[in-house]
Amino acid sequence: MEQQTFYYDNKIVRMFGGATILWGLVGVLVGLTIATQLAFPAANFNLPWLTFGRLRPLHTNAIIFAFVGNGIFTAAYYSMQRLLKTRMYSDFLGRFHFWGWQLIIVAAAITLPLGFTEAKEYAELEWPIDIAVVIVWIAFGWNMLGTIAIRRTRHIYVAIWFYIATFITIAVLYLVNNLSLPVSLWKSYSVYAGVQDGLVQWWYGHNAVAFFLTTPMLGLMYYFLPKAANRPVYSYKLSIIHFWALIFLYIWAGPHHLLYQALPGWAQSMGVVFSVMLLMPSWGGMVNGLLTLRGAWDRVRDSAVLKFFVVGVTAYGMSTFEGPLLSLKSVNAISHFTDWTIAHVHIGGMGWNGFMIFGMIYWLWPRIFNTKLKSEKLANAHFWIGTLGIIFYAVPLYWAAITQALMWKEFTPEGFLAYPNFMETVTQILPMYYLRIVGGSLYVTGFILFVYNVMATARSGKLIADEEASAPALEKMSKKRLPGETPHRWVERRWVPFTIWAFVAIIIGSIIEIVPMLMVKSNVPTISSVTPYTPLELAGRDIYVREGCYTCHSQQIRPFRSETERYGEYSKAGEFVYDHPYQWGSRRMGPDLAREGVKGGKIYKSNAWHYNHMLRPQDVNPESVMPAYPWLISDQLDMDIIPAKIRAMQALGVPYPKGYDQKAIADVKAQANGIAADLKNNNIDVKSDREIIALISYLQRLGTDIFKETAKK
Amino acid sequence: MATEEKYDQATQDSKLMIDHDYDGIKELDNPPPPWLMIIFYASIIWSVFYVFYYDVFGGPTQYDEYNTEMAEAIDNMPKSTFDEAHVTLLTDASSLAEGQKIYATKGCVACHGASNIGPDLTDKYWIHGNTIKDVFRTIKYGVPAKGMTPFKDQMTDKQIQEVASYVLVKLKGTNSGNTKGPQGDEY
Repeated sequence: MEQQTFYYDNKIVRMFGGATILWGLVGVLVGLTIATQLAFPAANFNLPWLTFGRLRPLHTNAIIFAFVGNGIFTAAYYSMQRLLKTRMYSDFLGRFHFWGWQLIIVAAAITLPLGFTEAKEYAELEWPIDIAVVIVWIAFGWNMLGTIAIRRTRHIYVAIWFYIATFITIAVLYLVNNLSLPVSLWKSYSVYAGVQDGLVQWWYGHNAVAFFLTTPMLGLMYYFLPKAANRPVYSYKLSIIHFWALIFLYIWAGPHHLLYQALPGWAQSMGVVFSVMLLMPSWGGMVNGLLTLRGAWDRVRDSAVLKFFVVGVTAYGMSTFEGPLLSLKSVNAISHFTDWTIAHVHIGGMGWNGFMIFGMIYWLWPRIFNTKLKSEKLANAHFWIGTLGIIFYAVPLYWAAITQALMWKEFTPEGFLAYPNFMETVTQILPMYYLRIVGGSLYVTGFILFVYNVMATARSGKLIADEEASAPALEKMSKKRLPGETPHRWVERRWVPFTIWAFVAIIIGSIIEIVPMLMVKSNVPTISSVTPYTPLELAGRDIYVREGCYTCHSQQIRPFRSETERYGEYSKAGEFVYDHPYQWGSRRMGPDLAREGVKGGKIYKSNAWHYNHMLRPQDVNPESVMPAYPWLISDQLDMDIIPAKIRAMQALGVPYPKGYDQKAIADVKAQANGIAADLKNNNIDVKSDREIIALISYLQRLGTDIFKETAKK
Repeated sequence: MATEEKYDQATQDSKLMIDHDYDGIKELDNPPPPWLMIIFYASIIWSVFYVFYYDVFGGPTQYDEYNTEMAEAIDNMPKSTFDEAHVTLLTDASSLAEGQKIYATKGCVACHGASNIGPDLTDKYWIHGNTIKDVFRTIKYGVPAKGMTPFKDQMTDKQIQEVASYVLVKLKGTNSGNTKGPQGDEY
């Protein structure tokens, strides 16, 4: 066999690693900002682009796609070259991937604060950026599969199985969930509506966790943990079982985000059982990671890298235990819409994702810069401060979640809600929010130590941009299965069938859940009195979307006495058929708004109340943590775009009469004048062409349609 | 004892996979831990039972659960002893003190105080009447069209009686509320 010499590209590793560090710092700082805003509404500064509703998507996107995204690319570009004994397939594709991804992040950082959003969690980016994401993602996949094709090793290692699953699944998820119809350059409507949009969104949202925050992290773990520990992987058989079980089962679990909501029972059951079946395949990864450390535990004491990995993998085990637990309907009835979910994802995000990335970079940086880590002591300090940060972040939120859920559900002996005023249940947990800020600050402090340490390490060495390596060329071999070769060993040396099998594994659950929801009518029983929004209400809804109201307000009343007593009749699937996108939300920082407009309903408020509340929430409710929205009163509603919006809705199947786009503006003016006149009667002088009028009209429409019929009867 | 030796002793049951070497990473041929596989199989069996119970054999839906919960709650609720047709004005100090507390904590002052959202309750002008029966009814059923919340789901009839009495006995005529000026008829 001819020994070939080649060079690993470490420059691309440094580029992605540097971006990980930079965007990670930005992401945690934005996180700290919004945590502060939740406790102190003055921190919204009355500026549109600094309000919680716009910054929260910036935080989640920055952490997921910018911090963890660049982190997994760092891991993939470093480990694949070495596991496959080749330089990456294309330097150009690597650079295109890198700069493309960073441009997307910059575009997100500009457009999200400006309110350009599709308002679906972790899929907020508007359509032009979505297209860029798809192109850059394909460049990444092309480069990755190309590298696998030109490898010098016979078999593909488990880390790369996980990278392959990541690439194909994210491609499918991202494309399907982000399908939207553009109205203008920065505005589009999801092609799905209501419950269908919700199901597609959480099929995506949950699997963004699965295939962006989990599978590539497991790939990272399978390379860097045995490398850093210098120990063999505990069980090859376990790798096979948990890999295939994980990717096959994960894709089904999304509906657990919609339990007890207006989603058909069969789909909810799928969400429950597949989440429960996921527990052991997830733990397979943790067990294989921790048992790989057998015989190396004495080194964990001294090595910051191993410490980060141990806590990271343990956090993975904790959050994957908690996931199935929260997917049980009886637990979810308490946890959903509370901070429990927030605490849960931060165990995953700060512990699993964050600590695995810290460990990787502390290990990697000295190697590619041919030097020693600047300070092992500082890295250890980072570890302890970071761990304390996670504890101080998560424990108060668990406390807050349970406290608030119990308050929402408590009844007096007379049969009334014990805390009918929603505000009381927020005020009660504010001390926990102060503690959360302490936890977040600790985590950020650790992060700053990390930045200093790795920068100083880089400065003390010199990048080995092209690292020499050698390996024998790969000899041609029969595609047929050899005698004695296990089927899995066989497929490990043939990447095309492997990729196809992985695709099959993830597409089965996707099709079985989504196709019936879109095609079978009985899944969304129609309600004849539900009609499309008036153009003014539609414009108001777009303002609701733009301001990210869904980040704090749900629009989904579950069939519980505690919710129907507080908010009114429970939500029905047929009520949301014109909601492109759906706006059910996932956290109630404020009350549910599904029946906000029902006159004589549980939470109806007058036009004047809404006006005053938007202008200065604390005047209406001194303890309110809601930001003020003064610009809705000073800014004019964009009328010019309304005909285009109507046409887009018609294209999506919303039954406005033919030619209605031309009449819409007149209807907008008539309805707006009515609301302005009513405000005038209440001593509020505001022009009828202001955004606030449109938003009020939308809020007053919410949840009212099902009562129109009963009124007629 | 060196780490490597300790390690070899601890894992003498596990064999290295001969041809598994990826950039120096080796793999052992340990079986998956039995407890892990047992729980995994158990979770699959549980899932089959779950789906059969709820989705094939017609176990209770979430709406069945809701109806049961509501029926139980109504059975357990105490019944009120009077309504708006039979309500009387309370003037004893303890009832009025209770009424004052309700006024401050149930959200009345938020709209009827300095925010000027609702009408002034401290002047002589009344939009929906000023007998105890009128005020009781206004609080209990609200005036949704104008933004007054119905409080029947938040207060007992007794509590509504107390706060209505407080408004009529203590607040009326003090001119200490908001600054909206007269609304409604003078009484």
